[in-house]
Amino acid sequence: MTTEKASYIGFTCAYTPLALIDAAGYVPYRILPMGDAPDMAGQLLHDNLCPHVKRVLDRAMDNDLPELAGVVLLNSCDAMRRLADVWPKVRPKDRVILIDLPITSDDPAVSYFGRELSRLADTLFQWGERPVTQETVAASIDRYNQVALLFGSLRERLRNGGVSGGAARLQSLYNRAVTQPWDETFQFLEGVAEETNTPSVGQNGVPIFLFGNVLPDPEAFGLFESCGVRIVDEDLCTGSRVFAPIKMEKSEETLSQLARGILRRPRCARTLLTTQPGVLAAEVLARAAECKARGVIACSAKFCDPYIARIPGVRETLRKAGLPLLHIEGDCTMRSFGQQRTRIQAFTEMLRR
Amino acid sequence: MMKQLFDDMAADMEARLLDHYTARLRFTLENARLCQRLYSDTHRLAWCGVCAPFDLLNAMGISSCFVEYLGAVFAAAGSAGQFLEEAEHAGFPTDSCGWHRAVIGAAAKGMMPIPDVMIATSSPCTGGVAAVEHLARTFDCPLYVLAIPPDDSESSVRYLADQIRHMVDFVSAHTGEALDDDRLRYAMHKTNEAREAAIEMFHLAQRIPSPARAADLRNFGITLPLFLGTEAAVEIAQAYRDEFAARSGQGISGVQGERFRLMWLQEAIQFRHPLIKMLEENYQAAIVIEELDDIYWEPIDAEDPYIGLAQRTIAFPFNGQADRRLKHIKKLVQAYKIDGAINPCHWGCRQGTGARGLIGEALKELDVPVINLEVDCADARNFSEGQLRTRLEAFMEVLDSRPGRRSTN
Repeated sequence: MTTEKASYIGFTCAYTPLALIDAAGYVPYRILPMGDAPDMAGQLLHDNLCPHVKRVLDRAMDNDLPELAGVVLLNSCDAMRRLADVWPKVRPKDRVILIDLPITSDDPAVSYFGRELSRLADTLFQWGERPVTQETVAASIDRYNQVALLFGSLRERLRNGGVSGGAARLQSLYNRAVTQPWDETFQFLEGVAEETNTPSVGQNGVPIFLFGNVLPDPEAFGLFESCGVRIVDEDLCTGSRVFAPIKMEKSEETLSQLARGILRRPRCARTLLTTQPGVLAAEVLARAAECKARGVIACSAKFCDPYIARIPGVRETLRKAGLPLLHIEGDCTMRSFGQQRTRIQAFTEMLRR
Repeated sequence: MMKQLFDDMAADMEARLLDHYTARLRFTLENARLCQRLYSDTHRLAWCGVCAPFDLLNAMGISSCFVEYLGAVFAAAGSAGQFLEEAEHAGFPTDSCGWHRAVIGAAAKGMMPIPDVMIATSSPCTGGVAAVEHLARTFDCPLYVLAIPPDDSESSVRYLADQIRHMVDFVSAHTGEALDDDRLRYAMHKTNEAREAAIEMFHLAQRIPSPARAADLRNFGITLPLFLGTEAAVEIAQAYRDEFAARSGQGISGVQGERFRLMWLQEAIQFRHPLIKMLEENYQAAIVIEELDDIYWEPIDAEDPYIGLAQRTIAFPFNGQADRRLKHIKKLVQAYKIDGAINPCHWGCRQGTGARGLIGEALKELDVPVINLEVDCADARNFSEGQLRTRLEAFMEVLDSRPGRRSTN
């Protein structure tokens, strides 16, 4: 357990280079769209904007954040860019940087993103902790790869029904891991990994692959299980996607490797593979088949254009493969999510037949 | 069917132009000709994002336009409703952009020509990229993506310039149309000529009273780029310049007895509606400028155009953070001596409408009131004419009652 007071850098997107922030001596703190902050973001952002971004802004406006040394935002979508626009209005003292995130992951995009990461490294140094070197970044990548490995083993156990507390517990671990210092994260994850296999609460549930963007509330996963669902794997930007391991080769410059690793991790719908338009659908099908799911649930924040546009294609692909899809749109509150209970139950019953 | 429609339209306009030449009619004719080519089955075709370098594509002999353009054509023709419904049945919710739903529905109904290539542009919006990707999948068509950085640093410009170069190779590989140096140089000269004429035309439009009215320049700024690199763009810009110069010389204003000078933000409502007429006739309010009616870019170096094309693309007012757009709006407000602004807040537009609070604040600094309307500029089905009319009337009363209001009577 660390004894020094942590110096947090706020972030909001799963593509954020946590290892780089760690290497600069900061603790990455994900501003999750949770909590009791009142709805205030509508004063600055239009009603039809992503509720993820608006809940994050609500927290900022309500001062429901720890002391932040700075905020790193990624230009991942229109809504995130608008968040970068309004952040200085609500927290004028915060240091904020917007890092561009290419929309593809080809080699020129990797090179460009590497330069953006270099700009971030310089900025973090200017913000005052410690210089970022190839060695410190490599060491931090290695640290986060260790965390990714632990999460990988927990996901494997979850698939086999061996994580006490099930998917809800795993989600609470993800939430801790994106808001606490690395050493604390690693310590508690090791502890969980050492636990004896305990059947999860939803052991007899229908195996489901869950994908989408933002679903950080463990209570949502509890709701799934109470409806007879057993999440056997997921691909969410508040879940496993954050902790995909980064492959390292000694021969290449570290930031380039970090850029490639981040851009080529399991994709958010906003990232394209130009040689295969709509590839997300095939990827969802492959992941669902791999974990032997009998159905797929898509969870997306309302007004999220990248997912809105891809869900019909995913539905079509899954339908052809005989795999049912349930799409749930939410506003990042359990209030809206709870209203989906009947649909989830009906979906589960349909799959049991 | 569509080709016949555009053939007839173009023939009609050509005849009318012989009888009475106006800049607007010349501009509309060029739009009809583009649609003719798009539906001809004989031209190489590229569906693109808004920020594609159309002058390069024109130089390659590729007929191209941004997909939203076709959505606007459907809306203007009153036929968008059936396509919007088709997209909604396919699972695209009404929360998403109407332009994109319209073309997705049209493609599903077989009313959109199958392109040779598609070119998505990450600016101005995420939704546009998603729509183009969906269409590329629907058409099983090669897709190229221009990732447009938000800033104009050297690294960003170089990254985009390289992508544009590769785009040319990509288009050549999939269409067999090469880009030779002479055609490229010619296209860039034409782009620069059109730019010069447009600058002069916009200066004339700034006069008090303005020779421009809403119907003259509707969609001009967003659509002119489709014709850049060709003689047509030069002719159009020069026709407007000459017409505005003549009107100014004769003391003719766009709106007779101009009392208010308004700015229309983002995009126009494309289907028929009576709001502009009401503003002009009841309040002598002239919409003297649409937000994209501007030349915000430097001339392109015809000998080495890629850097200039990249800089122009990055400089697009809707690209990147809202700061660029706000500065641009403020510049126009001051240049055109705007009394008030109308923001249609196109429903489903995260990048544009998402910034409306910031726009309101920026205009407040200049003491310029803005009215936010809730409307889907592509979708007439939920158009609340009475409500919008009432709100605009109230807005005009506010403008009229402001102390020290400039009167141009």
